[in-house]
Amino acid sequence: MDPITIAILVGAGALGFYMAWNIGSNDVANSMATAVGAKAITFKQAVLIAGVLNFVGAVFVGSHVTETIKGNIVDPSLIHNNFHILLGFFSSLLAASIFVMLSTWKEMPVSTTHSVIGALVGFGLVESGASCINWAKLGEVASSWVLSPIVGAILAFLVFRGIVKLIFEKEKPAEAARIVGPGIIGLTIILISSSLLMKTNLGRMLNINLYEALIIAVACGITGMVVSMIALRKIKMKGNDEYDVVERMFRKLQIVTSCYVAFSHGANDVANAIGPVAGIFSIATTGILDPKAEVPTFLLAIGGLGIAMGCMTWGHKVMRTLGYRITSLTNTRGFSVDFGAATTVLIASKLGLPISTSHTVVGAVIGVGLARGLDAVDLSVIKKIIVSWLLTVPAAAGLSAVIFLILRGIVGG
Amino acid sequence: MDDRVRAPIFSTLRRKSPFEGMLEHMNKVKKCIEVLKEGLKDYYEGNFEKFSEIAKKVSKLEHEADLIKGNIRAHLPRSILMPVDKGQFQWLLREQDAILDHAENLAEMLEMRHTKIPKELKPLFIEHMEKVMETVNAMEEAMDRFKILLETSFVTKERDMVKEKIHEVHRKEWEADQIKYKLTREIYKMEKKLKPMDEYHLLKIADWVDDIADHAENVADLIRAMIAR
Repeated sequence: MDPITIAILVGAGALGFYMAWNIGSNDVANSMATAVGAKAITFKQAVLIAGVLNFVGAVFVGSHVTETIKGNIVDPSLIHNNFHILLGFFSSLLAASIFVMLSTWKEMPVSTTHSVIGALVGFGLVESGASCINWAKLGEVASSWVLSPIVGAILAFLVFRGIVKLIFEKEKPAEAARIVGPGIIGLTIILISSSLLMKTNLGRMLNINLYEALIIAVACGITGMVVSMIALRKIKMKGNDEYDVVERMFRKLQIVTSCYVAFSHGANDVANAIGPVAGIFSIATTGILDPKAEVPTFLLAIGGLGIAMGCMTWGHKVMRTLGYRITSLTNTRGFSVDFGAATTVLIASKLGLPISTSHTVVGAVIGVGLARGLDAVDLSVIKKIIVSWLLTVPAAAGLSAVIFLILRGIVGG
Repeated sequence: MDDRVRAPIFSTLRRKSPFEGMLEHMNKVKKCIEVLKEGLKDYYEGNFEKFSEIAKKVSKLEHEADLIKGNIRAHLPRSILMPVDKGQFQWLLREQDAILDHAENLAEMLEMRHTKIPKELKPLFIEHMEKVMETVNAMEEAMDRFKILLETSFVTKERDMVKEKIHEVHRKEWEADQIKYKLTREIYKMEKKLKPMDEYHLLKIADWVDDIADHAENVADLIRAMIAR
């Protein structure tokens, strides 16, 4: 390896870590704020849960999305100069970092995902024109941006209506909650554990096939269900307000769903930081960019660590700020939002689609609002999000293109 | 970059619940009605000095409630999604405020002319006033129930309980009307004994007090409209 490549590799690692730190401090807070706002967990607990489970999600489930960013948006076979690809990934990472920093400063609801994808497209366009962009894949990713908040809204709507129908409508809501709540928790744990074991490095390492994974997941789910049933048994009826008791139960159950959010978040968002780094690493070590080559686990671990560090250093501050402002969510509502959003994000991660976690969470909140569950939801946020989509991709693309041209001019080749 | 966040979740949920504001406004109605009840008793008994103090209190409460109402309206742009019809919500707020407007009007008008209530009519006046206040109290209870209904996101059982309270408001309002008719008849019977201006004022007092019950009924009707399936 020549010194320039090594410098780029180190620089990319640092930028990737910076991106991950940014994701950890800001996006994690965004997605966990519902649980803090609903007083299901404290700031400290949120930071701890987010740190640990983002790391787990990033390392064990994060590879699908990372591969998409690394090799599927820009078709490497059409760019013949590998060094240019290397520079391109570096410029994309730099552009995305700058853009995210700017949008944080300006308090714009910009998604890190969109910045990274936009930046990659920008570099691809200036290097070898429209033909090297995998437009089909890009279209798929772009449609997932529109679909993910909608799916999040539908899932949250259904979960909340389910809670109303199965618990609130019953003669004894508290008794109903003792059965329904653990049921949903069991389902959550089945989803998490199957996503951990099926078609992942962990599954392969442990030599588990599909059926075994399913059986283990179901066993974990049932265990979780029994444990949460026992935990809920301790909650006694105080006074005669049954609805209050139900909310208190969901406060406990929301601990599990906030873990679920953190886990899914790590799985999807680690790619934003590590995707380009993985591309650079692949070229630097093997000389070519093979889209099908696996992303090394240690890179995912660096990303996961960055996210965890972000949570611990600055995330608690952001979470405190948001938690104080978001107080209108009760626990049943927060639970529905968490479940709807996290399930959507996890499915997207499994499909290799880089989506925006924060936008999905917003979709889920609107879903609960449409189910007549919230007193006031400000829908003007939809306009803000659409504007940020329309601005982020071109702006990040332009920035990345400029940086790429400058770097290519300096380093040559 | 201190304290700066990219937070779409915050933009979604930054609005304070408009229902909280409405309940605050309702609390002013509650207080105002309690105060007015004492004031009317004093007036009917002929303690006009005490009544003057209370009239000032009513006016102050009305003003405070106006501020709350303005605040709710200012923070309810088109983009807000609510679990009930926003038009009906605004209308309900207007009717709730009309209760206070009429309470204030009543207090001011009574303050302008201190009319001595004939002994024979006193029990009927008090009975009428109490029934009107009961109507308002039933409406307040309907509103409390309505808040629980919102918390459970429109459960059948709670909806039925709100409806029951609304029926109670209607029943009490009807009863108040009946007492008012009886009272009016009695006032006309005393035509010969009373000075014309006294006669007129007594008739007006019965009307003004009754207006309050009418608006309480309107509030109940709007709650009914908001909880329709």
